[in-house]
Parts: sequence; C-alpha cells; structure tokens
Amino acid sequence: MKISKFLLIISIIFTLNTQNLFSEDDKMGKGLEIFNEIAGCAGCHILKAAGSEGNVGPNLDTISLTEEYVKEMVTYGLGVMPAYGEENILTKEQIDIVSFYVANTAGK
Amino acid sequence: MKKTKQKLNLNRRNFLSGTATLAGLAATASIVPINISNANHKEGSKGLPGFISWKDRNALIIHSDKGIETHRSAIGESLITPNRNVYIRNNMPTMTDSQIGNRNDWKVSIEGVKNPKTFSLGQLKKLGHTTIATILQCSGNGRGFFEHKVRGSQWKTGAAACVFWTGVPVKAVVDACGGIDRDSVFMTSAGVDHKPTGLDPKKAMVERSVPKKVYSDAMLAWEMNGVPLPNAHGGPVRMITPGYFGINNVKHLGKVAFTKTESTVKYMKSSYRISPIGKKGSQYPSCWEMPVKSWITRPTDETGTVKSGKVQIVGVAMGGTRKVKSVKVSIDGGKSWKRAKFIGPDLGKYAWRQFALETTLSAGTYNLASLASNGPDKQPELRMENRRGYAHNGWKDHSVNITVV
Repeated sequence: MKISKFLLIISIIFTLNTQNLFSEDDKMGKGLEIFNEIAGCAGCHILKAAGSEGNVGPNLDTISLTEEYVKEMVTYGLGVMPAYGEENILTKEQIDIVSFYVANTAGK
Repeated sequence: MKKTKQKLNLNRRNFLSGTATLAGLAATASIVPINISNANHKEGSKGLPGFISWKDRNALIIHSDKGIETHRSAIGESLITPNRNVYIRNNMPTMTDSQIGNRNDWKVSIEGVKNPKTFSLGQLKKLGHTTIATILQCSGNGRGFFEHKVRGSQWKTGAAACVFWTGVPVKAVVDACGGIDRDSVFMTSAGVDHKPTGLDPKKAMVERSVPKKVYSDAMLAWEMNGVPLPNAHGGPVRMITPGYFGINNVKHLGKVAFTKTESTVKYMKSSYRISPIGKKGSQYPSCWEMPVKSWITRPTDETGTVKSGKVQIVGVAMGGTRKVKSVKVSIDGGKSWKRAKFIGPDLGKYAWRQFALETTLSAGTYNLASLASNGPDKQPELRMENRRGYAHNGWKDHSVNITVV
C-alpha cells in the first residue's frame, strides 16, 4: 500500500510538472505538432515557421504576441476561433506548449 | 533555443483537404477549414496586407491584417473619410475577385417576404437608387481604453469612418417582393464570405438580425464614396444599417430575410453581446444601436507642436440613431465647457458632424475633451464597463493631453 501510494504521489507530481520536463527545443517541436496537427491552428493562420497559410485568423507573421496573450486567446477563443480551453479541446499542458511555440515564432 | 521548422507533413495536408484521420477530425470537430482560400492577407506592399495595398499606410495603425485602425488625426480632416483611410475589421477573409466573379452576377436572395426572390446585382441596380452618408463604427471602437484584459484589437478612436454609400433602399427591394411577412420581427442579413473557408456556417457565417424597423432606412450598397464597393469593405454588395454598429452592416451579402426570431449563428447568439465583466451569454444586449459619441481629432500629439495663441480645436460628433444636437469642448479636463460650432455640411442624422472651437491657449499642458448630445442622450463621463469592451462613448477616456509651447 505504501509503495502504491508513493507511486501515485510521484505520478501526480510528474503530471503537474510535465511541462517543466520539456526542454525549450522539445516544446518548440511539440508546439509545432499541436499547431499543425492537433489543434488545426494552421488551417486558419499564416505562420512561416509552421509552413501554414490559413487565411481566417490574423497573419501571425505580422504580429508579435506574448505567451500570456496567446494563452488567453487559445483558452477563451475569439469570434470564429474556438475556446480551446473552455471547451476542453486542448489540455492545459497543450495550451501552454502551443502558446510558447506561437509566442516564439509569431512576428519573427 | 533551436527554431523548429518543418514542412507540413502528409497528415496536415490530408487534414486541410478534408481527408484527415478520424482522430484528427475528432480532436477539432467542425472547427478546421477544409479548403484553403487564397491567402490574400499575406503581406503586400508598404507594410500593408495584400488585399489593401491601395490604402494609405501613413493614415493607419496595424493591429493585425484583420484589424487596421485609422489614426486619430486621419479622421475629420474632411467630413467624409476617404476609402484609403477607412479602417478594416474582418471576421472572415476578404473575398477575392476570382471568388466573387462577375460583380453584376452576384446574387442576393430575399426571404420572409410575400414573393421570395433572388436578385442579381444587375437586377438590384434597376430596382432603385439612392445615396446616404452613414457612420461605420466597430462595436469595439474604444476598447483600447478599457483597463481589464480585453481580447481583440485595441482600438482607440479609429475603428470608425463616415462614408457615402450608393445602392438600392431595402424598402424598394421589399416592395418588388410584394412586401414583408407581417409576423416578422427581425431583418436578418447573411454574408457568404465564410463559404470559401469551408468552416461550419453556425460558427463562421456572419449573419446578423436587427429589429425589423431598421429596414426603412437600410440599403444594399454597391458603391462606397463614389467607387465600386471594394472587396475589403464587403463588395460587391453590403447591407447598410444606418445608426447600427459595423457588424450589422453585413459584408459580401448573400441573403436578407425577415424573420420571427434572431439568427442562431455564433456571431448573433453569443458574440457581440454587451455583458458584465466575467459574464457572457445571449441574454445580454446585442451590439445594435450606436450611442452618441464625439472625439477631438486635432490638435493631438499626432499633429505636431501647438504654439501658444489662437488654436482651433476640431473633432467629429455623432448622434447614433438620432441627429447630433450639440457639442461642448473643455480645455481643463471637464471642469468647464464651451459650446463648439458645427462646421461643414449636415449630411443627415446618420452621418457625423465636424465641430470646431477657437480658443486662445498660453504655454502649458491641457486636457482637451468633447461632450456631444443628441437631445435625450449625452455622452457619459465614464465608460460602461463590459466584458468585451464594446460601445465605449465616455468622454473622459477619449480626451487628449496636449502641450502648448
């Protein structure tokens, strides 16, 4: 029992800190995957770094964004952009990673 | 940090062409476009997006390619805002010439009338002809003054313009259809600019309902300030709802219906609702009638050094759905007010008026404010706090600080 309790605590700590376990390069790679493959951001945004040419939302190559602002947008959406957080389309971890990716590629 | 760059892989291409894996589709159900429309929002010349390379870059503040604001000093220089200075706010990508095709063949269907019909633009042009001046103003104009974190373009004063529209009165179109259904309550206009994106119409179609009474002054416009309505502003045909916020002036118009209920698309049901901070929902008022509002366009920090002596304080004032009756100007942050004069022609209650106050200023700093009234209503001092930063007409935030030397 004690061992299983210990493993449970370790696994909770691991889950809560997964983001911190990713290196910045890992986060960029994972963020690109979320942007292009999982969330479908590429379908609506131009972003050279991702090779995307979507035309519905703002052209991300022409604006600089803070990670905090991207998180807010991805979580709550705006207009036709879905609320990826509120509607549970992405996990909090995925939102954190894709926001890191976009903030580090937009406007560059 | 290494910049990760990679070409789109097969999954993404399949995704966009509509043959995505089930897992991929499930993850993004109905939110991802399956067709790429022509990316005319890529950078064009002069630092402007390609679809508006013809605009005056110096007159504009670029928030994004979908949100472009007119500088405070680029409004009010003349009564009518020239097309090259008019702001851009697009919920959907501007349609291209190839998507539009022959402009005179563009179709608009009319429903909720005795004899529903579909008219080509060529046919609409034969039903009637009129020109009106109205104010086009984004619901979020002034959002940049709100202090809580509001998502969206941080407009100050420049998501507004005064424009001459030429087209056919909706009333003439309705008459050609035998009149409106008696039990209709709303006039509901729908754009078709979502179609090339392949997005779910419930989430992407710009369809807006306004009270039926609006039809009596509304028009279907095909010209803007004397030229064919530019695609960037909703050409070839746009609904004009005088006195109502910009979103109700539906671009790339495909349908007008007189309906018993409001549209249920996202842009009507949940977006553009004026709700308290922290709350949202369709129970809150929609962005419909614009309130009385004014702001000073010069002198400001954009217009250069102000020398002591006689100074002309100039601005624009609007009455919303009523004629603007008066404007007062303060040079001391609202402690005292003097009545300004209207200048230039009166283009009707839906246009703004230019106003001017000549005063003498010695060296020092001043807070210049304007306060307009349409009779029953006048501008409040403070903004009406709301979640999305809509309908701001408080005079204090719109005031400007100047230094006189």
